[in-house]
Amino acid sequence: MSFIAAFVWSYIFWLVLTVGSKGLLWSTQELIAGLIFSTIVGYATRGIIGDRAIRFLNPMKWILAVAYTPVLFWGMVKANFDVAYRVITGKIRPGIVRVPVNLENDAQYAILSNSITLTPGTLTVDACPEEKVLYVHWINIPKGLEWPENSEPVSGPFEKWARRLGE
Amino acid sequence: MNDMGLIVRTLARATIPLIGIFGAYIVSHGHLTPGGGFQGGATIAGAGILFLIAFGLEEAKKRINKNLYSALEGIGGLVFLGAAMLGLSVAFFYNLLWHKGPILNGHPGSLLSAGYLPIMNLAVGLKVFTGLVSALMAIALYRRWQK
Repeated sequence: MSFIAAFVWSYIFWLVLTVGSKGLLWSTQELIAGLIFSTIVGYATRGIIGDRAIRFLNPMKWILAVAYTPVLFWGMVKANFDVAYRVITGKIRPGIVRVPVNLENDAQYAILSNSITLTPGTLTVDACPEEKVLYVHWINIPKGLEWPENSEPVSGPFEKWARRLGE
Repeated sequence: MNDMGLIVRTLARATIPLIGIFGAYIVSHGHLTPGGGFQGGATIAGAGILFLIAFGLEEAKKRINKNLYSALEGIGGLVFLGAAMLGLSVAFFYNLLWHKGPILNGHPGSLLSAGYLPIMNLAVGLKVFTGLVSALMAIALYRRWQK
């Protein structure tokens, strides 16, 4: 199963790299060479990509990922303007906060951590799945939120999205 | 704690196949686009080093077989030499596959063209990948400076 996941993942990337070899599509040689190289890469990395990586080949996941893109992009735009404001005015209150999250697997932690890091003003320092917390460096901790109850004040709706994208 | 933690490990799982297939693309298109055997081989070796760093030495020791990598490096060199000797009836490094070859003399610009160059690129890519990964594994295993 993990061989199939690694193979399909590599072959999609090969198709993206070689598009345009025959008009706007792919020549037969490129398609066959892609099959051979993806088989080699898939076989070599079948133990690395993880046993449950096959779930990301579900088309519903891709639709969800496309739907997540504008949410993430809008969060980045808002947070960039907020950081620009803090650069100009110098009103910062930095610190590292411990954020309890309700996630189960590695992929969810990775998606949420990267979303938090991508939105400026917050930066994931460490993820501890044993304690079910993230340690986040925050540029401006609002008064009284030094010990947040959940990830909502830090990351907005990202935890819900990460839970659905990675399950 | 021998590895890089959960986030790096999870993203390495996703990116190592991508780096591998990108390196294979550079190697196999060495006669068409910038890059070639050494550049592509070094790219794939980057995937191996990412694996070593993200997953830690213990995991890499289980997965990276010294004899296999040593043998593959030798095979890469031998394939390069074999491709160079194919046209020995005319001259060393004579590109017989391009002048009379069965398949590798396609229209210039297509994947199966340029005679022995794709074979040599693949051989050099294999040699560079296995050589660099073996060298970095040997350096990582050299741990006697504190004991």
